[in-house]
Amino acid sequence: MLKLTPSKKRLILFIIFGWILLILSNQVGDLKLYQGSFVATYALAITSIILLTGYSGQLSLGQSALMAVGAYAGALAIFNVGLHPVIGLFVAALVAGVFGLLLGLIVARLSGPYLAGTTLALAVSLPTLANQFPILGAEEGVPFDVGSAPARFGEDFSQYKWQFWIASLAALIMVWFIANLLTSRYGRTYKALRDNPVAAELSGINVGQVKVGAFAISSGVAGLSGALLAVLISGVSPSAFPLSLSFALLGGAVVTGVYSLKGVILGGLVLVAIPEIADSLVSRIGGSEGFTISLPGFLVSALLILAVVFAPNGPGSLIKRKHHKK
Amino acid sequence: MIRNKSMRRASLVSTIVVTGAMLLSTLPAQAATPGVTATGIKLGISSPLTGSAGLSYGKVPGAMKAYFNYINANGGVYGRKITLVSRDDKYLPVRAATETTNLILKDNVFALVGALGTATHAKAYKAAALAAKNVPDLFVNTGFSGFTNQVKYPTTFMVLPTYAMEAKVIAKAIKDNFPGQPSVLIAQDDEFGTDGVAGFTAAGHKFSAPNVLYPQGYFSTAGRDAAVITSLKGLLAAAPGSKPVIVLFGTTDVTAALLKAATDAGVEKSFTWYAGSVGADANTLLALGVKSTTIDGVVSASFMPDAKDLTDPYVKQFVDINTKYNKDIAFDNYVLAAMNSAMLTVQALRAAGKDLTREGVMSAIETKGAKFASAGLVPLGYSATSRIGYNGYWVSQLNAKGEGKPFGGKLVVYTTDSGAGAVTVSTFVRPTMPKNGIPTNS
Amino acid sequence: MSEFITAVLTSLSSGAIYALMSIALVLVWRSTRVINFAQAGQAVLTTYIGYDIVQKTGSYWIALAGAVISGAVIGAVIDRFFMRPIFKRVNSGPIVMIAPVAATLGLLGIIQALIGFKWGLTNQSIEAPVSTNGIKVLGSAIAFSKFNLLVLVFVSVAVLLLTLLFQRTNIGLALRASAYSPEIARLSGIKVDTVRTLGWAIAGASSGLAGMLYIPGAFLYPNAMDLLLVFGFIAAVIGGLESLFGAVAGAMVLAFAINFATTYISPKLFFPTAFIVLVLVLLVRPAGLFAAKMSRKA
Repeated sequence: MLKLTPSKKRLILFIIFGWILLILSNQVGDLKLYQGSFVATYALAITSIILLTGYSGQLSLGQSALMAVGAYAGALAIFNVGLHPVIGLFVAALVAGVFGLLLGLIVARLSGPYLAGTTLALAVSLPTLANQFPILGAEEGVPFDVGSAPARFGEDFSQYKWQFWIASLAALIMVWFIANLLTSRYGRTYKALRDNPVAAELSGINVGQVKVGAFAISSGVAGLSGALLAVLISGVSPSAFPLSLSFALLGGAVVTGVYSLKGVILGGLVLVAIPEIADSLVSRIGGSEGFTISLPGFLVSALLILAVVFAPNGPGSLIKRKHHKK
Repeated sequence: MIRNKSMRRASLVSTIVVTGAMLLSTLPAQAATPGVTATGIKLGISSPLTGSAGLSYGKVPGAMKAYFNYINANGGVYGRKITLVSRDDKYLPVRAATETTNLILKDNVFALVGALGTATHAKAYKAAALAAKNVPDLFVNTGFSGFTNQVKYPTTFMVLPTYAMEAKVIAKAIKDNFPGQPSVLIAQDDEFGTDGVAGFTAAGHKFSAPNVLYPQGYFSTAGRDAAVITSLKGLLAAAPGSKPVIVLFGTTDVTAALLKAATDAGVEKSFTWYAGSVGADANTLLALGVKSTTIDGVVSASFMPDAKDLTDPYVKQFVDINTKYNKDIAFDNYVLAAMNSAMLTVQALRAAGKDLTREGVMSAIETKGAKFASAGLVPLGYSATSRIGYNGYWVSQLNAKGEGKPFGGKLVVYTTDSGAGAVTVSTFVRPTMPKNGIPTNS
Repeated sequence: MSEFITAVLTSLSSGAIYALMSIALVLVWRSTRVINFAQAGQAVLTTYIGYDIVQKTGSYWIALAGAVISGAVIGAVIDRFFMRPIFKRVNSGPIVMIAPVAATLGLLGIIQALIGFKWGLTNQSIEAPVSTNGIKVLGSAIAFSKFNLLVLVFVSVAVLLLTLLFQRTNIGLALRASAYSPEIARLSGIKVDTVRTLGWAIAGASSGLAGMLYIPGAFLYPNAMDLLLVFGFIAAVIGGLESLFGAVAGAMVLAFAINFATTYISPKLFFPTAFIVLVLVLLVRPAGLFAAKMSRKA
């Protein structure tokens, strides 16, 4: 009988999930594939937040900036240097990771609101850099073209299915990688760091190094998700990564449990579902232009506050409490 | 990791539930032609409703809806009522991409009309797979000549003259009316501005100083405008006694920012301002804070009658429709242009016949579009090989009231192409307006 | 030379506005140990209220008073009915680190959405009460207007009043004591909770003033003050998050850095300069340039 270690179990789970997605993708229409790609992308971005904030305890508001870095890097690699799109995705993660490393070196010693505020400043200033360098194309941006599906899949292979495949595959691989990371001793180290930095230091953990490492890896993940987002909107430009994206991602992470990876898909679904829910609410009860456009933001913010107050450990803890009441 | 079994189960369950809900909420299977039923036609538009460009273009969807409602009240198109789904893209390319995709995938529109913006629509066209899905992209609200490329944009029909055409007409106007004066071009730093630059080059017009590319972004700090004014002052210093012609090729908020900066610096009367048609709407400029004394004398180009000219039958008819169907919205050049495009759209839908298909409406415009009735004072250029709408301009001058009157008092219409063709005076006579503004073509 | 003078003057006037925001953030930080990201929302909300007042009465001055007063009220309400209950509930576990940030961020989002609901998203504007044209000095206009002068005057008066309040009054003493050591303050009879709410009220008034002084030169829309929040935060950090003086001084340092960089090097350096200054300060003197204590780890 094969010994099924947790990590083997996880691998099998991910592979099965991947196959399910593949089969599903042939059944559903373009709209669901389009939305599904966003779910995968957001889930991946939320993963980076869980690693950084949930595990290593560093609250950063700058994920949108790191996503932008990855997106630009990948786009330029494909468009200007002519690399293959898959390599472009690698480049996105790598460049964002290196950027995160440098950033981490600067900000890792900060904590709490200092870190939050500094990453906030980063999130606001970084996208504007795109206007400084003509090669970045300013508001028109740089196209991120993963091309169409290989010819052998047939001419009718929808562009949206192709993007869904790419987004899901990239997300699955990366999330699996991070899941392994978090259950390894690195994950335990992060948690020790988060819960009691002094004790961690005393037990020999190099707090600074670990923090910077977490920052770097998280940034790499964010960079990849930024590149995937650029695929979906067919290009990268400063307005694609506004501050509100950072807020929404943080909201999604907290609402679905920032301390565990299990909720990331749900988080992605929530972020995609909220504008839909807002849309149907508006068509039900009507409303002005301002109402329609502001409603999703309102819902995300309200959810964020409610989650922090009532379910800080994710929705699972709500069920757990009920369980205990029995 | 969630160690606790019940917590893990809860998360898993909620994930499955939400996924299932989203999958199950798929709409029922669509009719053969999306957006068309026995009783209705659904059209879509992605344009800026909010944001800086929303100030001028925000009225467009509402004005089009008003005209469509008028037609619906008068029998619709062969009995089908037209609905227009409008989505806000804030003039941002990425939002245009997502909103246009939503129009196709979620709203299942039959065709797009009046898509706005060069960079915005170029990105949206690709992201929403309009070519692959063969979605008609009618009467786009931009003059970027790239959209006439039928290989890249097989379903797109322009309506505005291209910016290259406008540049050539402006170049001729400067040569004819302001001979010997130095000139400078300030263009928006994107495909729109670049198109204009190319047009001036094609016209062989030499500017006296390097072009100023005005960055297009959501920040316009005073420092940036002041820097432009400083360089303009340098032009004055280099050619004393002259009154340089400054060509402003940008949207209204860009034009307004620069005019205001010039007024603040006290130099607005030292130049002749030539505002490209996109940025010259007097009402918007006034609303953005430009003084009427500054606007007085600004030269511009147009291909439509002025919205304040009630002696024009088209204008009068549209004003009537606006009063009845678009209450509380002041009639201006944007409303005029929007209703004009709506009228063209109705004629295109009619020309495609009762059996309405996407292919049908596109070939209808190709074969019959050049003869469509419209308010434009220049001809329409649609044919089997050309997707160009209007192909010319007349030179106008604004007065302090914001009215655009023919420059020099006499209306002269110039037509040209986007390439190296000459600019010629045209003898075009506009088709008579259909009775009550309700097309009856087929 | 005139460029230099222009740069100095514009630095002073933008620095003055950053200072108001920075003061607000420092006040809340000192009393509650929270960086109030919602301050941007409070500032823009009070400015919309000011906008409504201008629409109804046509007077900028009444609107200004209204914005400041409503700012104080809103600030107090937020502390009493939002922040306090949240802190009571969330007081253990790793969420404690995230809670204040998430709470104020969520509040910011809600305020901005509510503004969208009520006023819509189109850009509005508020006319300045005096000319915004450059004042003419020796024949040519400089980039400093009567309105910029007004801003400087108002902020100076505000800072003076606040300084007097903190240094010369009993309430000020109570504010400083509660911030420095809540337990001891409570023991000496100070109602710490009330005093803290008062701190939020003053902060709200300050950001209300900032909004009314900032918007006449720009457009009013729900996110109009986000930038000011970031700059106020950076200014506060530069100044040390400790004192009124630090807040103002930090704002001036930031404003001068930005203005001189954009004037003499390139206008494109507007944001990068702010970020670079922040990073430099955090690396070299993390406590802030004007702080007495060396701690800045919450």
